[in-house]
Amino acid sequence: MAEPTYRGTTGVAREADLIARVAEGDRRAFEELYNLYHRRLARFLSRLTRRYDVVEEVINDTFWVVWRKARDFRGDSQPSTWILGIAYRKARGAFRAAARLAEQNLESEREPLTTETPATSEELRDWLAQALAQLPPEQSLAVQLCYELGFSCEEIASIMNCPVNTVKTRLFHARAKLQRLLPQLAQPVGGGGKAGTP
Amino acid sequence: MNHEPALGHDEIWLLLPWLANGRLAGAQRAQAEQHVRGCAACAQELATQRHTCALLTEPERVSYAPGPSLRKLMERIDGEARPAAAEPLRPARRARAALAATWRPPGLAWAATFVLTAGLGALFATAYRWSQPEYATYTTASRASSEVLHLAFERSLPVGEVEELLRASGARVVEGPDGSGIFGVAPVAPGAAAPGTVSPQLRALRERLAADARVRWIEPLAAARAEADAAGARPPER
Repeated sequence: MAEPTYRGTTGVAREADLIARVAEGDRRAFEELYNLYHRRLARFLSRLTRRYDVVEEVINDTFWVVWRKARDFRGDSQPSTWILGIAYRKARGAFRAAARLAEQNLESEREPLTTETPATSEELRDWLAQALAQLPPEQSLAVQLCYELGFSCEEIASIMNCPVNTVKTRLFHARAKLQRLLPQLAQPVGGGGKAGTP
Repeated sequence: MNHEPALGHDEIWLLLPWLANGRLAGAQRAQAEQHVRGCAACAQELATQRHTCALLTEPERVSYAPGPSLRKLMERIDGEARPAAAEPLRPARRARAALAATWRPPGLAWAATFVLTAGLGALFATAYRWSQPEYATYTTASRASSEVLHLAFERSLPVGEVEELLRASGARVVEGPDGSGIFGVAPVAPGAAAPGTVSPQLRALRERLAADARVRWIEPLAAARAEADAAGARPPER
């Protein structure tokens, strides 16, 4: 299914309008907003767990809050920052146990995931997903918010409800750990994969 | 003019992820770009960051179907709209309810109701078949099967979403679309139904589709149509 997207200023205005209609109890607007974010959130959360039922639970808990609190959205931040902020808080609660496990894993994981050279970008992408799963959720989520979803440092600080410098520090540690787990990230992929320096 | 304080190597190193994702702006961006041109370590790190960005923004291979999750959420929202239904029973009422449950196990009652309904359905169907003349015409054969539901989707619904909706509902297209966009669908796992009745699978499918806001119109079940036919215009007897 093609993901509905509203990019740029028009997209922001459209999402803000949907939230305003949700605040009035408009179910169609709510469904549209849900479909707009479902894939983004599913992808974002599925890096933290392979259990789709947990991912689905976090998405629905997020949109449960959106339904109930849409009236409180004043437009001080972008709609995506507001919704991702709710999702982040829900995910943090749901994956607290995973966070402890990841910390333990990281203590014992001093070696790279693999010493092989990836043949394709797809292979490297799978390894990257494994490496991300080994980071503490705060760091893994910061990586995704920055690299995958393209948020600015200030927006990530707003989503994670922390100072800008904390975001930079989380990314700094995440980068160092990813480098250790997956040194191949620093090398261009052989075999004509898409990844590489633009 | 606003002068940004000069950034050192360490500060720029921290900003590289946003230079890679294109969100570093203004004076910080200009300073970072200038620094990277003269710093081999930062240039290498920026390439790694861009590589990571490219890997994480590649199109997803897994497709997610939001339909079933959304349905669950809407049920939860509907449940909240009926708080009285969720109100806990008072102890005395709870005791009476427990006593009643002892005498009328709900599972047994449902099973008995189902058996009785199926039996009566089969009896009426047999009686109806006996009352009909023993010949068949091609016109009767052309009548749509009672195991087909006719429906129309929202006009703006993309084909991919129609496909996802049908898959999530457990339906397959067996007819159409006709000139006005009407499809005939049937359950993927069809159930047995006596003539004049509908299978539980079809009934459940209709409920699922009717609850989906993307379905613009859905016909009543064939059994309901048959009852309406029987009450109204009966075919003339030969």
